[in-house]
Amino acid sequence: MDCIITIEIGTGAIRVVAFDLKGNILGSSKGSYPTFHAKPDFSEQDPEQIFITMLYILKNFLNETIHPRKYKVVCLCFSSAMHSVLPIDKNGVPLGNAMVWSDNRAKKEAGDLKNSALGKSLYKTTGTPIHAMSPLNKITWLKNNDKDRFAATQKFLSIKTYIIQQLTGEYVVDYSVASATGMLNIHTLKWEADALKHGGIGKEKLADVVSVFYSPKKLKKEYQTALGLHDKVKLIIGSSDGCMATLGAGVWGDGKATVTLEESGAVRVVGKEVLQDKKQRLFNYLLIEGHYVSGGPTNNAGSVFEWYAKQFGDFKKAFDLEECVENLIGEAANISPGSDGLIFLPYLQGERAPIWNANARGVYFGLNIKHGQQHFIRATIEGILYAIYSIGKTLEEHRSFKSLSANGTFASYPFWTQMMADIFNKPVHIKQGSGSDSVAFGSFLLSATEIGLYRNLDEAAESVKLPDSFTPNKQIHDVYLKHYSIFERLSVKLFDEFEAIANVQNEN
Amino acid sequence: MNQCFLKKECKELHAFPQIREFALKKINTVHFDSLKKEPSQFFRFYYVIDGRFDWNINDEHHILYPDDLAVILPGQIFGGEKDLLDIGAVSWMHLELQLDRSGKLSTGKWSRLTDSECRTIGRILLLNDCLVLSRLKEAGTIFQNIQNEFITQEVGYTTRINQLIDELFILSARQLTRQSNSRRDFPQTFMKLEQNLRENLSHQWSVEEMSALVGLGTTAFSEKVKSYTGFSPLNYLINIRISEAIKLLKRPDVHVTDIALDTGFYSSQHFATTFKKLTGYTPSEFRKKNITTD
Repeated sequence: MDCIITIEIGTGAIRVVAFDLKGNILGSSKGSYPTFHAKPDFSEQDPEQIFITMLYILKNFLNETIHPRKYKVVCLCFSSAMHSVLPIDKNGVPLGNAMVWSDNRAKKEAGDLKNSALGKSLYKTTGTPIHAMSPLNKITWLKNNDKDRFAATQKFLSIKTYIIQQLTGEYVVDYSVASATGMLNIHTLKWEADALKHGGIGKEKLADVVSVFYSPKKLKKEYQTALGLHDKVKLIIGSSDGCMATLGAGVWGDGKATVTLEESGAVRVVGKEVLQDKKQRLFNYLLIEGHYVSGGPTNNAGSVFEWYAKQFGDFKKAFDLEECVENLIGEAANISPGSDGLIFLPYLQGERAPIWNANARGVYFGLNIKHGQQHFIRATIEGILYAIYSIGKTLEEHRSFKSLSANGTFASYPFWTQMMADIFNKPVHIKQGSGSDSVAFGSFLLSATEIGLYRNLDEAAESVKLPDSFTPNKQIHDVYLKHYSIFERLSVKLFDEFEAIANVQNEN
Repeated sequence: MNQCFLKKECKELHAFPQIREFALKKINTVHFDSLKKEPSQFFRFYYVIDGRFDWNINDEHHILYPDDLAVILPGQIFGGEKDLLDIGAVSWMHLELQLDRSGKLSTGKWSRLTDSECRTIGRILLLNDCLVLSRLKEAGTIFQNIQNEFITQEVGYTTRINQLIDELFILSARQLTRQSNSRRDFPQTFMKLEQNLRENLSHQWSVEEMSALVGLGTTAFSEKVKSYTGFSPLNYLINIRISEAIKLLKRPDVHVTDIALDTGFYSSQHFATTFKKLTGYTPSEFRKKNITTD
């Protein structure tokens, strides 16, 4: 039987999933690698470790699950996190570790650019909000602060580009990942000259831009042998994790939006037009020519609840975070919606959309003598989802949607999903037992389209069935709305105080 | 509380070549220079029974309260912050044991700790910069029991005292990992372990050693690592070894045999086999084919 294998090069792990041609999962495997923080704002990963983890996991998975059952691998499709930058030298050897998406060292470069006329015009042409995480600012940082490395760099790659080059010898980057660099003109699909000039590089320093359906050269012979794959296996470059999660959730066309709740989170829509937000709050990434994934990201989703659990949860078994999280959610259910007037701003790690304020911090507001520990748990979850709602509202200034589809680890808790439906006052759909596999499923749909199982992505996206639906409760929605309006005002009103406290904290 | 002060010369210590000093002392008056800061030649354990002690261990100021235990390693500088012993009550024991740079603790025939336990305990002691264990009543009990054995000298007391010293080492090592890992945050704890592995990649790590550093039993540790990383602990280690080896292979100036040993393989043969099995290349083929732009 034929099968399609998707490989997600994620923030902290490789995930390999095999599908049959109907989209049923045949098996999966994952392997993680660490993120190094040499300095507080630095987030780096070792490209060789990512490569070897990918090879190791893929090889074991093929040998244990695919080859013994005589499945024939038709294609391998890749997806990856966005915003990574890996400089390589003239021999193709990495110059140190890769900066990953969450690397924040280019704060100053981003701030300077954002407030300039060039910044405004670049947002229009590239669709990427000017932020420390965007590769353009990371490259500018290297130019200003690591001159030797900058000078020795032959090319600035994304992690996926490096992995594919290792496997095939070819330097290519897909539209989606390229459109998240802040350097690709998403209207002309060419590297944007003004951006490159600002970064101090020519386009020969970047990989060639190709469609997400592009097939790189064949696997090198040695890897064919090591993996036990024949030379007819098609490689598909694929897209970014965010775009794939959106496609995999069946969000395509009008009226739908998707919410991803992993450690970080995002709300996204897909459409044929770029959303030009005057305040530069929304990103626009290219999925395929003429289709844009637009939305807003938050730093503070699951990671904030995990923070709460680690600090205040009851660990009956050492290191069993999952059990602890489940128990806390159970306790939160004892408190009524609105947490009796306790409101939480979840900005523990600064915030991106919609307030784009790196100085923002967490706040519990409205505390009175009757509040207990369980109020804090519920308020924490509500606060995280109010922040998600605030992104949704920003998106709706441009495009309305009637329903949401949710994915990611935290969306698999019904308590969270129901709360989301009530806060948005819209039905939320979730795939049964889907957990976080919508990235893989998106990659499957992309591959299936490329090998002719669907005519186009429209048809592929329509095939996604989301049976489980959480219906909103209007009365509860009204309760949340009252609290949310205070949440929204606080998020803006505290601007000066956020700055003051961030300064105090940065002194230490 | 009976005071006691046994030195190497005392006949009570003849059966214990490893014990240099054992004491339980009440201090009622302060004497200048009663505890000068100086490099310690021995392993020292100090357990506070009563009072507040201002000590300096390896250039760091520590304040110890009742039930706190300080472990001073051979070579570390130790003494009173004001070069004196404060008022209060304290037990101590000095032991003539070696701790080499790789973390191997050399005990002696008296000890029942196995070689691998000695390596692991030694490494834990070496890796923790702060060796002050707070609120460790069990250590007080051990000191009390040792003293009782010395006083009564009932049948089997030599064996009992030696066992109690082993126990003191085990207790200290376990408490140290507990104190330095929250037991809540596995990613953070694992990150610390990973850093240790990378810094000592040529060391032949065992699962026992790795789990002890994290403060878990081997079964729980292996399960946790598997579910967090997707690899068994030893496979995760191979993964790091190969990643580091690839980096070195891409630098033409390093010899393949050196790469093998630096990254913890037994031999270049072992390295070549493992490398080829995973990548399909022998190390030298990999080097030849991967350092050119195509």
